[in-house]
This record gives sequence, structure tokens and C-alpha cells, in this order.
Amino acid sequence: MTATLAALEHWSGGLWPYLVVILFGFLPSEIWRWASVFLVRGLSEDAEILVWVRAVATALLAGVVAKLLLVPSGALAVVPVFWRWGALGAGILAFFVFRKSMLAGVIIGEAVLIGAALLAAG
Amino acid sequence: MADDSSPPLKTPRQAALAGAKAAAGLPSFMLMASLIGVGGLCRDVGYPMGAAVASTLLVWAGPAQMVLFGSIAAGVALPLIAVAICVSSIRFVPMCMSILPLMREPAIPARDGQPARKGTPTWLMLILAHFVAVTAWVEGMRRLPGMPKPERIPYFLAFASTVMLAAAFSTGAGYYLIAKLPPALAAGLLFTSPIYFTVALAAGARQSVDWLALVLGFGAAPLVALVVPAGFDLMVGGIGMGSLAYAIHRLQQARRRRGEGA
Repeated sequence: MTATLAALEHWSGGLWPYLVVILFGFLPSEIWRWASVFLVRGLSEDAEILVWVRAVATALLAGVVAKLLLVPSGALAVVPVFWRWGALGAGILAFFVFRKSMLAGVIIGEAVLIGAALLAAG
Repeated sequence: MADDSSPPLKTPRQAALAGAKAAAGLPSFMLMASLIGVGGLCRDVGYPMGAAVASTLLVWAGPAQMVLFGSIAAGVALPLIAVAICVSSIRFVPMCMSILPLMREPAIPARDGQPARKGTPTWLMLILAHFVAVTAWVEGMRRLPGMPKPERIPYFLAFASTVMLAAAFSTGAGYYLIAKLPPALAAGLLFTSPIYFTVALAAGARQSVDWLALVLGFGAAPLVALVVPAGFDLMVGGIGMGSLAYAIHRLQQARRRRGEGA
């Protein structure tokens, strides 16, 4: 395997980075999107099973958000945990206070976080 | 102005324009903010700028792109990276499965003098599926159901390709810029995905089942992460909490129906 890859790298020359993106990034993720096209064949948009599928997708995404804040990467890790959650809470609050305005939610949440990051650094 | 309650159908071109317009604000901004870092990661491993941009256009999943370049930098073997990306991308299945039926037009056989109509062709479904990622999913799930069916595909394609182009541009710019960013701003950029996804999910939640899934998925994540091996925790939490939300929703429905019957 390693020898094959090394040969491929040599043979592809300057195009190797693009080949890496296609073979090891694009294909492993795209197969799931393509598989889904065949999985939904014959399902109408109001099929009952799709209510469940949507609940799974929503719960999954909520989990992604929680994980991004629980195990933050890079510069976000510098911000104390209280402020990471506090900024999220402030954003959600602003979203509801400003009559479900996504823009207000994002701006207020960001402002609290960047403010906290500045304080943490200073 | 006509006071007609159902406005006339938009032409595909008008629907596409509406999609591009909807994408031009917050969705594009948030994707640009979250993909700017991928450019920097790509430069760190010594790949050309084009590879960073290609990863946005082809992989179209910020976390997977970060895993790709981050792991190459850490010296992880390429086949192992592919496995990690493959596992984390399973989340596209419930996302694609819930949004694609909103767009597909079923085939209709000829009847009553009406000619038969072909359904949405598979090649078009594959293209639509390629554009599915978190942003296009949350926005699509929120906006598409209220739209007449013929408007949905042009709207979604224009929306998704607009945010994709903005993100690709930002990935390329990040390749040159990211090292110069002050840390507080860098933290703010990394915070855009969580805050945007949260308010977008809240804005898109319609029925009680959506809220249940949202709150349960969020609340259970720390516990699931402790019990389930890394890499699989998101999928296990999603299926577990999504199913729990659905079960509660069914129970509520059954109770309501019984209440009506009595």
C-alpha cells in the first residue's frame, strides 16, 4: 500500500496534492451523499420515516455544536469554558429577544465571545 | 399590487435569483469565516493554494477538510485519514435523506390526455446531493417546504453554489492571510459555526419533534462522548437522541388522538 502510494506520488508529480484531495477527502465523504440518492428512491417527501430521519439529523447537528464547544480547537480553546457557553447562551437569548433574528443571534454571540477572548488575552 | 393569496409561480430563473440572494448574507459570511482556516492548514503541509480551494469545492465539509490537512501535517497515513473522513461523513446520510425528497419531482404516467412527465433524473439528484452540507441543509430544511415544488431545485442549486463559491474564495484567501490574524479574531472565526448552526437550527425548528431532537442531541453530547469511542460518538448520539425525540413525538401524537376520540 505504502509503496503503491509512493509510486503514485512520484508519477503524479505536481498534481499529487490534488490527487490526495480527491482520493482521501472527496471520495470517502461523497459516497455517503451518493448512497443517499439511492436510499430515498420511492420515498415521498411526507413519508413518516423521514420525520425520524430528520430528528436524527437534527440531534446529530446539535451534537456537533456541543462538541465544537466542549473540545474546542486552536484559538477558541484560549477562551474560558464559561464564556464559550455564555456566548452561545447570549446568542440564543438575542435570537429570541429580537423576534427570531438569526443575524442578531450571531452578532451578539460573536461580540460576547470576541470580548471574552480579548479579556482572556489581556 | 394583486392581493392574491398564492403568488404566481416563479420562473426557474427568478427562483435561482432568490436562492442566490438568500445565500449572499449571513450563510455566505458564516461559511467564509469557518473555511478561512482550512487555507492556512493546507499551506502548513506545503500544498498549493489550488488544493485548498479544490478541497472546498469537492469535499465540501469544513470538519473533514480540517481532518484531511491537519492529519497530513501530523504525519497520519493517508488510508487512515480516508477512513476517519469516511466515518465522520456518515452524518450526510440523514441530512441528504431528509432534504433530497423535498426537491425530487416524482415521475407521473400519462393520464387524462396529459403527457407523461419524467421525474427528476438521477444525475441531477447526484449533483443536488453533492451540495448538501450543514449550511445548505439547515437553510434548505427551513425554506424549501414553504415553496412550490418546481421552484425548489433552482433555488437550492443557486443558494448552495453561491455559498460554495464564497467559501472557496475564502479558503484561497485564508491560504495567505490566516497567520496574520489576531488571536481574539481567530477565536471569533472558530465560533461562527457553533453559533450559526445553533440559531439556524432554532429558526428551522417547527414541530415539537425538532425542538426535542435539538435539546436532547445537545444535552446528551457530553455524556455520549464519555461512553462511546471518539469518531462514533456523534453518530451514536444522533441516532439515539433523534430516535428518542421521535418516540416521544409519537407518544404525544397517540395521546392527543386518544384525547380526541374520548
